[in-house]
Amino acid sequence: MHTLKFESWKVAWAFFATCMLLLALQLVYGFFMAFAHVGLDVLHPWIPFNALRASHTNLLVVWLLAGFMGSAYYIIPDESDRELWSIPLAWLQLGSLVVVAVIALVGFHFNWWEGRKFLEIPRPLDYLVVVNVLAFLLNIGMTVLKGRRYTTTALTLLTGLTAAALLYLPGMIYFTSQVLDSYFRWWVVHLWVEGVWELIMGGILSYLLIKLTGVDREVVEKWLYLIVGLTFLSGILGTGHHYYFIGAPEYWLAIGGIFSASEPLAFLGMALYVVTMARRGGRRHDNRVALFWSVGCGVLSFVGAGVLGFAHTLPSVNLYTHGTLVTAMHGHLAFWGAYAMLVFGMISYALPEMTGRKFFDSWVGEAAFWIANTGMLSMTAAFAVAGVTQVYLERRIGLDFLDVQDAVAVHFWALILASCLFTLGILLFIWDFARHGSPLGMRADSATGVSAPAPQPAK
Amino acid sequence: MLSKSQARLFYVTATVGFSGVFLLLTADTLRQVPQRSNAAQLTEAVVHGKDLWDENNCMGCHTLLGEGAYYAPELTKVVERRGAQWIKIFLRDPEAMFPGRRRMVRYDLSDEEIDALVAFFTWIGGIDTNGFPAEPDLAPAGAAPITASAVAPDAPEVFGAVCTACHSLGGSGGAVGPALDDVSERYDAASLRRWLADPLKVKPDTTMPNLQLSDADLDALTAFLLADR
Repeated sequence: MHTLKFESWKVAWAFFATCMLLLALQLVYGFFMAFAHVGLDVLHPWIPFNALRASHTNLLVVWLLAGFMGSAYYIIPDESDRELWSIPLAWLQLGSLVVVAVIALVGFHFNWWEGRKFLEIPRPLDYLVVVNVLAFLLNIGMTVLKGRRYTTTALTLLTGLTAAALLYLPGMIYFTSQVLDSYFRWWVVHLWVEGVWELIMGGILSYLLIKLTGVDREVVEKWLYLIVGLTFLSGILGTGHHYYFIGAPEYWLAIGGIFSASEPLAFLGMALYVVTMARRGGRRHDNRVALFWSVGCGVLSFVGAGVLGFAHTLPSVNLYTHGTLVTAMHGHLAFWGAYAMLVFGMISYALPEMTGRKFFDSWVGEAAFWIANTGMLSMTAAFAVAGVTQVYLERRIGLDFLDVQDAVAVHFWALILASCLFTLGILLFIWDFARHGSPLGMRADSATGVSAPAPQPAK
Repeated sequence: MLSKSQARLFYVTATVGFSGVFLLLTADTLRQVPQRSNAAQLTEAVVHGKDLWDENNCMGCHTLLGEGAYYAPELTKVVERRGAQWIKIFLRDPEAMFPGRRRMVRYDLSDEEIDALVAFFTWIGGIDTNGFPAEPDLAPAGAAPITASAVAPDAPEVFGAVCTACHSLGGSGGAVGPALDDVSERYDAASLRRWLADPLKVKPDTTMPNLQLSDADLDALTAFLLADR
């Protein structure tokens, strides 16, 4: 294969490359935060903890969104069997996304933000995000329409992305009451990560499983409906687990408790689905690493989002764990398992297809998988020990906050060690990405067979 | 086994049905929240305090109603725990109150802004949060927080609100600064008053902050600390 199947895939590749850069930066901020927790807050006069924290989480959100968009720009042309509706618009959309992200990130360091967890991007930039996402949706929506091949996988992905865009809006309403501010902030944050993002996840995983295992599309897509059905059955009213203690009515304790406690079912479904499909598939694709990440995504999303979420979701437990490091334990493995590994799976699958370089028997990809996962599981364990200790000492025995933080500092040293291992895995993955090089047609040595030169991204 | 169209029906029904229930519950929540959060007391000062809370991303370190980051203390009941006077002194120079401990940015807030933040925290403290934050249920018996009136019934209010956060008297109180049982052996009235008015002027390397106490508080504290007991 010496030609690129779709010109559109060059944009997808550029989105993935952006992911790698933002992820690397996210890790840097994570290290600074961990060091601040052990008392080494040398950056404090210039970058206080709240700026580190806003940068760390927002970089995560942006690189995952970039990953989803890159995946869509890869999958939708393939499923619709045509180029994107407008390739220049896709390049423009990437450029503007990067510009907004950079402005937001720099702004955080100059106290320009909204102090609303995960939605720290200031209001004027919110409008740019909306325009950006609309351009993206228009592009893939028109591609699906023009292609006239309405596959369940493509439609699920499109529905998930559209719903994610719509749900961003309630987070932009201004409230004078902290209670209502918080209530609608969760419409974005919860309904994204425990709702429509799972739709996106289901869509991407289905595509990967069809490609990697050769399992029948009809079977895959039936499972897909069942899982996303379960997701919404539990996840929508599961939002109630954020409403226990913020001033919302008492019935949210019961409703949030029951429905969020059944959220692991959807993740269990997802895990069983990928494992079953991977075992059943008649065809064995040479790209083992992509299958590793896909199956790993299904399994670790069940552990991180499902099991560790359940660990503190019941109101009687959450009364003590709410607002402690226990949340950080759950958050890290959930985002890694469900969404980071998903994007990694997509990248691992797409890279050889886009670049024509098939390093399937190289050790780098597999080493990255095992090292990063061992690192992240160790990080989760460090957070767990710190979190549970904090809950007992501070919330149940009543010791002073700062004294307890001193007591758990040792677990942050463990966290730093585990993070080094994790970072090694990520660096290997990024190295693997880099050595695949740019897509066919963007390189001098493979210019043959591609008619038009690629439009360059505005950087 | 389920067919694909049955699976699709399940997905559509679950999504539409539970979205509907969620919207109904939201309508009811919107109806109940004003009463549960004393919306009538949402004064201009409280809203100003909330805006300051947002603009400075306080949630990037603290939690409020249990939401935020886990680097700095939970503030839902901070007014009940510390008292307004302590918070006002603390916000003028956060590091001064906890020398050598985890640091908070000094925001150089005006007196009016500090009052707004205290009004905001007071309002937050009055919200019906279904019991959050819970009382420590495993606390050793008798480990109730030290109140000044328990230490010394004749103590002025400022003593319990500010001094006991760092100093102890009769064995109870904070351990940041020295115990205050023998003050009368170390100071006379004039030197003690001078010290309390501006500790750094007397001893430039002290970790005790300038508490910006009023004349009335200075008089009351001097008399109280030098009294025979």
